[in-house]
Amino acid sequence: MTYWNGDNEQMPRAELEQVQLERLQSTVNRAYKNVPFYKKHFDVQGMHPDALTTVREISRLPFTTRQDLCDGYPYGLFAVPLRDIVRISPSAGTTAKPVVVGYTKSDLKVRNNITARFLTAGGVRDTDIVQICLNPGLAPWGRALKEGAESIGASVMPLSMMSTSKQLMAMEDFRTSVLLTTPSYANHMLDVIERLGKKATSLALKAILVVGEAVTEKQRDRLQSALNVDVLAGYGPSDVMAPAVAFECGEKKGLHISEDHFLLEIIDPDSGAPLVPGQQGEIVLTTLTAKAFPLIRFRTEDMACLWDTPCPCGRTFLRISTVSGYTGEVLTIRGVKVHPAQIRQILAAHSGISSPRFLIHLYKESHQDMVEIWLETTELLFSDEVKEIEATLKRLRKAMLQLLGLTTSIRLTEAATLDRFGLPSGGVIDDREDARAG
Amino acid sequence: MLRIKNLHAYYGPIRALYNVSLHVRAGEIVSLIGANGAGKTTTLHTISGLIGSAKGEITFHDIKINGLSPEKIVASGISQVPEGRQIFAPLTVRENLELGAYLRFKGKEKRAIQRDLGWIFAMFPRLEERIGQIAGTLSGGEQQMLAIGRALMARPKLLLLDEPSMGLAPLIVKEIMNTIADLRDSGVTILIVEQNARASLSISDRGYVLETGKVILQGNSEDLLNDSDVKRAYLGKDYRTFWEEKDQS
Repeated sequence: MTYWNGDNEQMPRAELEQVQLERLQSTVNRAYKNVPFYKKHFDVQGMHPDALTTVREISRLPFTTRQDLCDGYPYGLFAVPLRDIVRISPSAGTTAKPVVVGYTKSDLKVRNNITARFLTAGGVRDTDIVQICLNPGLAPWGRALKEGAESIGASVMPLSMMSTSKQLMAMEDFRTSVLLTTPSYANHMLDVIERLGKKATSLALKAILVVGEAVTEKQRDRLQSALNVDVLAGYGPSDVMAPAVAFECGEKKGLHISEDHFLLEIIDPDSGAPLVPGQQGEIVLTTLTAKAFPLIRFRTEDMACLWDTPCPCGRTFLRISTVSGYTGEVLTIRGVKVHPAQIRQILAAHSGISSPRFLIHLYKESHQDMVEIWLETTELLFSDEVKEIEATLKRLRKAMLQLLGLTTSIRLTEAATLDRFGLPSGGVIDDREDARAG
Repeated sequence: MLRIKNLHAYYGPIRALYNVSLHVRAGEIVSLIGANGAGKTTTLHTISGLIGSAKGEITFHDIKINGLSPEKIVASGISQVPEGRQIFAPLTVRENLELGAYLRFKGKEKRAIQRDLGWIFAMFPRLEERIGQIAGTLSGGEQQMLAIGRALMARPKLLLLDEPSMGLAPLIVKEIMNTIADLRDSGVTILIVEQNARASLSISDRGYVLETGKVILQGNSEDLLNDSDVKRAYLGKDYRTFWEEKDQS
């Protein structure tokens, strides 16, 4: 058995397109009726839900952006009364306000099915022991993956705050067979395994399923050959929807989109025009089955291309390439979406400087994304007491961890040092690419 | 088997259906539920050709059937059991059933028709007992059985049922629903329209929820039965009932 629900995953295209049309129409009808935001947006565009007669015509509907999610906080985008919601799932989001997604009972059931599909394609069975290692910023996904694995019947070790060496100890002693993590953390674990002189044979791992960031072929090869495992990826925007909007099959050539639940478009990020298969562009997603939190044409800011060639695995779902980059200012750090403005806000709120000048330095250390914030020292921050400065820095680090779910380091620098880079405050120096290439 | 895309229907200037799309796979029972005036019956009438040339596309076994006359649609394998039974009251049970096969009489399929009468009597023994009785004197439940039996005499591949539970006692409703489930097992695909959402969802595989001429929700029956919107709107529960139930439990 390589499918979770084979009938759907192998549905003939004509039937799938009918199902997509039906679900798109009712999603749009519901959103228009129940969510004032969508009604207003559609009306401005002069687009009535009745006018939607093919799936392709979705390109006539307006986009939804992360800013819209923020403006809709807390309940603005919910399409059902709170009474029907069984889970309110917040994530840090990329603005001052969190992004809060609601789920009805049936939404959760659907999400479990979608996640179970990804896990099944990745080899998870009811006899497996699944260990989830994600950073706290990806906690909502940790839950989704846990529930997906549980619905398959696997034994799950959920997301927990443990050091890498303890994670490894548990992995060894509980004979973990499938690891769910980010590509960079998997590589970091491998570093630790090598440093500790552990043998790959001491582990019972058969597969590593990676989410959160795009996996490079180099990372995949290293993990596969060193640990003798299969490495398969899942894709989803980490702040909304499911961790496996799209997932790799055993072919490892692109990720199958769960097209019965999501409609995926690739657009030109500048003009917003739809692109043809094979062309690189921004991923835009529409939910087809979400009841509580329908999203219509959500701009993910992730770049990829669509492939419409059939896959030998038998799934009829189209595939996308691995995410190859990001549009806009939103950063993806260890899978967590972060906007520089969030960092500015935290700095302003906790350092006592109303408009702090800073740069964000991203680099890799032991395959993991590292964030260093270079903050300009001013008189306001400066004190005779080293203790006080240290206390401020500690407060800032704590706030970053709490609000973004990321560990960061903060370096105080002189104005001249920042000026050298010629970047505006909040600019990003990303040295991760070099690390990846090297 | 049946595929409908972007169906619009009008009664004169009044628009009854807005962009309705739905499908029925072979061997399925699919429910169309919704309040009065939501467009359920209109959808059935448009499929069976009783309401002409609406905008949209209806295909049956990949052949476009909208625009065809009702007789041609019956001949292609779709029969409708109308709302309120509409049996021929002055005629006997046998005559009613034979009329259901009138297209086949023309095709000289007399022996096959006799066989089908036997099949229908096996399913509804009550009709055999009352074979010579005037149909208008049957009870409501028996009339519904007769209406279904009459539609089956055309040997349809797809049976459209319009409110089969209407005006029947709960016990009879259950009996009729069981028969419908048996029918599916004997190879007939069924599209059923019901205000009694609970009864029809309990025997169907999937369902669509219509509201003022639009599909606002679809899914498998189990999920729809548990859906709060459906419960509120079509299973006769409002917010108050919800709260009271909560308080009692």
